[in-house]
Amino acid sequence: MPDGRVAVRAWSTLTLIAALCSLPPPSHAYFGLTGNEPLSILPLSFQPEDGPARAHYKLCDRLKLEKKQRRMCRRDPGVAETLMEAISLSALECQYQFRFERWNCTLEGRYRANILKRGFKETAFLYAISSAGLTHAMAKACSAGRMERCTCDEAPDLENRKAWQWGGCGDNLKYSNKFVKDFLGKRSNKDLRARVDMHNSHVGMKVIKAGVDTTCKCHGVSGSCTVQTCWRQLAPFHKIGMVLKQRYETALKVASATNQAKGEGELPHTPPRTRAEPFSRTSDLLHIEDSPNFCQASIYSAGTAARKCHKDKNCDAICCGRGHNTQSRVLTRPCQCQVRWCCYVECKQCTQKEEVYTCKG
Amino acid sequence: MAGAIIENMSTKKLVIVGVVLLLFQAFAFMVGGLIAPSPTTAVHYLATKCVDNQKGHHQGRKWFMPWGPNQCDKIRDFDEAMAKRIEANNIVFSVHIPLPNKEMSPWFQFMLVILQFDIAFKMYNQIKDGAMVTIDVSLAYRDDTVSEWTEMAHSVEQRKLNCNLTTAKIVENEGRYYECDLLPFMEVGTVSHKYYLVNIRLPVYERKKVNVGIGEIKDIRLVGIHQNGGFTKVWFAMKTFLTPSILIIMIWYWRRITMMSRPPVLLEKVIFALGISMTFINIPVEWFSIGFDWTWMLLFGDIRQGIFYAMLLSFWIIFCGEHLMDQAERNRFSMYWKQVGPIVFGSFCLFIFDMCERGVQLTNPFYSIWASDVGTELAMAFIIVAGICACLYFLFLCFMVFQVFRNISGKRSSLPAMTKARRLHYEGLIFRFKFLMLVTLACAAMTVIFFIISQVNEGHWHWGDYTVQINSAFFTGIYGMWNLYVFALMFLYAPSHKRYGDEQSSGDQGGNSGEDIQLTTTITHADGPTEVYRMMGKESQE
Repeated sequence: MPDGRVAVRAWSTLTLIAALCSLPPPSHAYFGLTGNEPLSILPLSFQPEDGPARAHYKLCDRLKLEKKQRRMCRRDPGVAETLMEAISLSALECQYQFRFERWNCTLEGRYRANILKRGFKETAFLYAISSAGLTHAMAKACSAGRMERCTCDEAPDLENRKAWQWGGCGDNLKYSNKFVKDFLGKRSNKDLRARVDMHNSHVGMKVIKAGVDTTCKCHGVSGSCTVQTCWRQLAPFHKIGMVLKQRYETALKVASATNQAKGEGELPHTPPRTRAEPFSRTSDLLHIEDSPNFCQASIYSAGTAARKCHKDKNCDAICCGRGHNTQSRVLTRPCQCQVRWCCYVECKQCTQKEEVYTCKG
Repeated sequence: MAGAIIENMSTKKLVIVGVVLLLFQAFAFMVGGLIAPSPTTAVHYLATKCVDNQKGHHQGRKWFMPWGPNQCDKIRDFDEAMAKRIEANNIVFSVHIPLPNKEMSPWFQFMLVILQFDIAFKMYNQIKDGAMVTIDVSLAYRDDTVSEWTEMAHSVEQRKLNCNLTTAKIVENEGRYYECDLLPFMEVGTVSHKYYLVNIRLPVYERKKVNVGIGEIKDIRLVGIHQNGGFTKVWFAMKTFLTPSILIIMIWYWRRITMMSRPPVLLEKVIFALGISMTFINIPVEWFSIGFDWTWMLLFGDIRQGIFYAMLLSFWIIFCGEHLMDQAERNRFSMYWKQVGPIVFGSFCLFIFDMCERGVQLTNPFYSIWASDVGTELAMAFIIVAGICACLYFLFLCFMVFQVFRNISGKRSSLPAMTKARRLHYEGLIFRFKFLMLVTLACAAMTVIFFIISQVNEGHWHWGDYTVQINSAFFTGIYGMWNLYVFALMFLYAPSHKRYGDEQSSGDQGGNSGEDIQLTTTITHADGPTEVYRMMGKESQE
């Protein structure tokens, strides 16, 4: 249903643009869905050939980045574009994964900012999907040649060339992982919240890493496997989103009430050990507080009133037991579509009666 | 003159030779593991979607650059194309090889590109069974960043889409990607230019059912594989070093044989032939690929390796046959047609297959025998026949080895009853055979073990500060090993100047020397068999 798809995209674009509202800077602005930039600057509106070589400077300024991040953004004209692609990638995936939940990943500035101020499961998910999206987008940008410096990045130009001629460069994934780690930066590890956020960001990167497939090609004598070359391939971002959604559902709560004074947080099950890296061992998402139920309009969401739901599927859950309205509509829409590769769709128009369910207020 | 050097060598000297060879072996492994980088590199490329705005006729081909100056009009995805009403035939997938700020080099030796489609699942646009995708593809090159692109190849190719969806085909799963098999895309035998550009189109002709039912293609990805420059350099250095070593020992070996009064026997000739085929592999003609655009280098390399393998396999059979000790007349190549036949036939099959694949690729780098059904069946037929030949060969070989061992144990019991000279002769034969058997098995085992290690491992080990490239170590080590094998063979199995009993016997039987002359390296010398028969008869009478 290509028209449906267009509609979905248009809708999501609209919602993202609607999130234009400027944010009060959250205390821990990382990047992407967790950053304090308005999400309106979507790559869809971005024209790469709009002017001189310094055009990307403007873009980097439009994204509200920290000093170091801005420096990294300005270093390479490809970075800004990739950053924006990362945002839209994670935003769309977040909304896709949460389309049947009470919290439907509303990214509207005010709500998002308030969620980011707290330590909910949803906050954890936002951090994880942002870093995962950035890692993914960066690796993709590398292989598309959008970035000027990708792998073989460390040394000056001449040595780069030598390294490439001698032994090739490392793979994109390694580079993008390094970049994202650099980009998100090391934060002071004193504050429990900051450490949990950091951990969740790392979970996102780890999920990307774990989703990597190794594929091999044999090309020895007569195509035999005496010579074999393997490479690592990223999983589609849908898969990453799915894994993160599962992690969200099984997220662990970090006991904070008692330990917060010391700035020490431990997993509920592991006994307190060294202060060094209490979180890094687990690949679960961590949260500090219990989430609100997102049923009523609050500072975290607009509530589920008037949300569309699927009968027999999630109406009870979404509508928080308030019941739902049923509306009958007669719709004319394309059906039995003949789709040809790229850009040509031929559909019949069908008139259908459709029931639309929306939650009661 | 009698026996080979190995029989007459003292144990001490033999051990010294063994240790020296082992040192060289270790050195070969270390060269690959510590100096060379990994043998090949795979680079990912994501095709950029360009729009061909030219209407109607083109004067000459237009090339679309994915990035850099003069880059094409891009679209982000096909929703955009649909909105702008761009036709499929006007969308060009463009890939520049290599990535920005890099350049290719002749040291990369070859370039092999694999094609992958990202196809999203859509209820109304699923991949049909047995869908073929037709790609209109062209390749261009240039040697600096400003000049025009020169076309290198252009072709319309078909590839079979072999995709499956791991989840259920329901509306909820729309947008999931199919998992598709890798498709062979292109193979170029030399990398003599700095920059390459690939332009791919997926033209749609509904009437001819071209590119209909191929699902919703989201992206085209390429993976380019080439040999690493560093590895090539190390490899060339190794070849350049090994060629004279084998050549010198070969000349020395042949001089020894021609110095003898008798004409060379079959086994000696076969060992010499093995030396020649090894030298043929060793000769570093690849140096020329740095300066010349010789695309047939890849094919030539295959042929050279094939000849060596065939020679090595034939050698084993003939070596076993000549040590059978059943007194039958051999010493002629035609005696072995049954065993060598499968080798020749199998190699021939593989040669035909290679010519069909890499041979055709000389003219059309996008050709793949696996792309069409007939081609796939043909290729499979060749490979299966070659496989049957290999099985047949190994059956023969195992049977022969078994026969030799049976004869050896038979001879063992009668050894004490023989005259000194004959006893020494047979002991020599047995020792020679067992020694080669042991060394060959060790080499084969090493090859297999290292092959498995290099396949299982990630390709490199970290060992303190050093990174050991397992794959490179495997290649240089195994290559060095078989060179040393051939070297040792020619050295140790060359005819000896010493006479039997010079050291060991105190000349207890004066009349032996007459017999000695008859007992050459392998029993069968021009008139050897009759002599031996005579002796055998005598023995049985005793």
